[in-house]
Amino acid sequence: MTEQPGAPDLAGPVPAELVAVAERHGRVVAAGDNAATLADFQPDRTGQLIASARLPERLVSSRLLRLEAEPDGLVAAFIRYTAEDGSDTVLRSRWIKLAEGWRVTQVRNIPDTPPVLAAAGPRDDRLDAPHWEGLQVGEVRVQRCTRCGSWIWAPQPLCPRCHSFDLAWPAVEPAGAVYSWTRTWQPFTSELSGHVPFVVVLAELPAAGGRRLLGVLRDGDCADVRVGAPVRGEVDPPPTPGGWPVLRWRLA
Amino acid sequence: MSRDRTLRGAAAVAGIGATPYYKRGTSPHSAQRLILEAILAACADAGVDAHEIDGFVSYANDLNEGLAIGAALGVREIRWSTMVWGGGGGGVAAAVNAAAAAVACGQGDTVVVYRGITEADDGRQSYGKGHFPPLLSAHGVLTPAQVCALRTERMLEVDGVPGSALEALVQASHHHAQQNPGAVAYGRPLDHDTYAGSRWVSEPLRLFDCSRENDGASAVLVTSAERAADLRCAPAFVLSGVQGAGPDWSESAENNAAYTSAGFHPTMVARLWAEAGIKPADTDVIQVYENFSGPAVASLIDFGLCPPGPEAGAFMTLPNLIAQGGALPVNTSGGNIAEGFVHGIGLVLEAVRQVRGTSANQVPGADISLLLGGPVAPLVSATVFGSAATI
Repeated sequence: MTEQPGAPDLAGPVPAELVAVAERHGRVVAAGDNAATLADFQPDRTGQLIASARLPERLVSSRLLRLEAEPDGLVAAFIRYTAEDGSDTVLRSRWIKLAEGWRVTQVRNIPDTPPVLAAAGPRDDRLDAPHWEGLQVGEVRVQRCTRCGSWIWAPQPLCPRCHSFDLAWPAVEPAGAVYSWTRTWQPFTSELSGHVPFVVVLAELPAAGGRRLLGVLRDGDCADVRVGAPVRGEVDPPPTPGGWPVLRWRLA
Repeated sequence: MSRDRTLRGAAAVAGIGATPYYKRGTSPHSAQRLILEAILAACADAGVDAHEIDGFVSYANDLNEGLAIGAALGVREIRWSTMVWGGGGGGVAAAVNAAAAAVACGQGDTVVVYRGITEADDGRQSYGKGHFPPLLSAHGVLTPAQVCALRTERMLEVDGVPGSALEALVQASHHHAQQNPGAVAYGRPLDHDTYAGSRWVSEPLRLFDCSRENDGASAVLVTSAERAADLRCAPAFVLSGVQGAGPDWSESAENNAAYTSAGFHPTMVARLWAEAGIKPADTDVIQVYENFSGPAVASLIDFGLCPPGPEAGAFMTLPNLIAQGGALPVNTSGGNIAEGFVHGIGLVLEAVRQVRGTSANQVPGADISLLLGGPVAPLVSATVFGSAATI
C-alpha cells in the first residue's frame, strides 16, 4: 500500500517528532481513512481544510518529500500522493503545535496555481469583448475615447466625459504598479478550492492613463506584496479549448 | 415663491418590527412570510392597522415586490412604490429617505420600509448578485469581502489607518451584543486573542472583521411627523437623508477616484449635516453598516467623525465606541457583525431605538442618531434621526 519512504529533506529547525507525524498523515490520507485524516486537522478549521485542496479519488501511496520550518513557528510539509492511474499530486500542509499535538492548519496544492474560473470571457452584453479578444492575441486592450482621449475602465457604452460613442480599444503596455492587493484564503466557491491562498492585485497602468486592472498575481502565495511594487502583465492561455485567456500579474 | 425643499422634521419612524435572526438556511418560513411578520410587528408597535399601509420601499433588489406584499396584507390602496437601485446594503438609509420623501410631499401617508432574506429563497451570497462581472470574477474576485479587502488594504498601507481601528469597531459590536439577547454573538464575548487569532478571509480582513448572512426580516413604518406624534411610540424624526454615488463611483471595476473612501463624498456629507442643521460633533450615536470592519471605519472617516490616517487609532478604541461612556458609541445592538445580517435593515431599527431611549445599550440622552448605509457599495446612503427635542 505504502511506498517505502526515503528520508525527507529537512529545511531549518524542524522538530524531529514531526517527521513521523507527517509521514503517518500521508499514509492515512492515501488510505482514504477520513476519520484519521480529520483527526490531524486543527479542529475549528476542518471545513476550510477540506475545501482547500484537491486530490484524485483513488490513491495508492504517499511520500513525505520535505519539511520546512517557517518564521511564524509553523512547519510546512510537502507530501506527494500517487493515484491508481499513476498520477502524482503534491500537497503542502502547514502544521501548528497545539496543546494536543501537531495539527494541520492550512493545506493547498503545489505547485501554486492561480484559480481558473468559468466566468472568464466577455459579459453577456459583450461590452468588454474587445478586451478578451485582445488577450487571445496576447494584447492587453483598454477602452479609450477616440474624440477626447479619455481612458475608460470599466468599459462603458459611451465616453462618460464627452459622450462620444466612438470608442477604441488600443493595446497598452501591461506594466504598472500595485495600487492595492488582497491575499484570499477563503475558498468562496469550489473553483477556488486547491488554489487558496491566492493574491489578487489591482494594478495601475500609466500607459492606460492610470486606469486600474485586476488580476491574480502569479506565484503570489508567499510573495511579499506591497502597494507601489512594480508588476507586469502576462496572459495565461485558455485552460480548455474554447475557453478564454486571462490576464495575470507578476512582480517585476 | 420659495418652498421648503428639505426633509427635516416632515416624517418620522413610528413603528419597528423584526423577526429573529436565524442562522442562514434555517428559517422555518419563506422570506415573504418573514417580511409580512416584520411589517405586522412594526404596525403593532406603532398601533397602526396594516391595511392602512399605502407605500412600500425596499432596496438591494429584494425578491418580494411591494405590490405582492401589499396584496398579501390586503391594503386599501398603494400610492408609493420604490426600489432603491444599487447592490449591497448601500440603499438601506436611502430606502428610509425615500419613504420620508414620499410622506413629506404627500405621496404616501403610511409607508413601510422592509428587507427580508432567506438562503432558501435568495441563495448564498445574495448580497453580491449581479455585481461581479467577468472583469472581477475571472480573477477570483467573487465576493464583497475581497473588494472590501482591497480597499481596506490600501487604507491601512497607504493612508496609515492602524489595524487596531478595525478591531476596536469589531470589539464594540461584540461588547454591545452581550446586552442583546437576540444577537447572534450574545453570550459569546470576543477577546483580543480570539480576534487576532481568527483565520484570514481575505487579507487584511479576518473572520471577525466580516458580517455573516442570516435569514430574517425587519421593517419600519414611516408616517408624517404630525401623525407620528399621536401614535403610541416616541417618533424618530427624519432630520435629513442623503443617497448617491460620487464621481467615478458606482460600478467601476475598482477604478473609483477616492478608492479608500467608503463612498460618502464631501458634498454628500455636507448636505447631510446642513439639512439636519447639525455638526458632526452633535451626533450622539451611530449605526454604521459593517459589511466588513474596514469600510465601516472608512465611513466614519468620510463623515469627519473619526480622524483619517494614523490618528484614527487613538480615536477608534473600545472605550470610545461603547454606549457605556464612549464619546461616539457605534452599533449599539451589535450591528451586522454581532447582532445579525439581513442587509443592514437591523441597523435602522437600532437607530430608532436610540432616539426612543429603548436600546439594550442606551446612550443616555441620545437625541441625534445617525444611520450610515452600505459602505463601498455602488450606492451609499445616510439618515439622521432626531428625538422630539431636535424638532
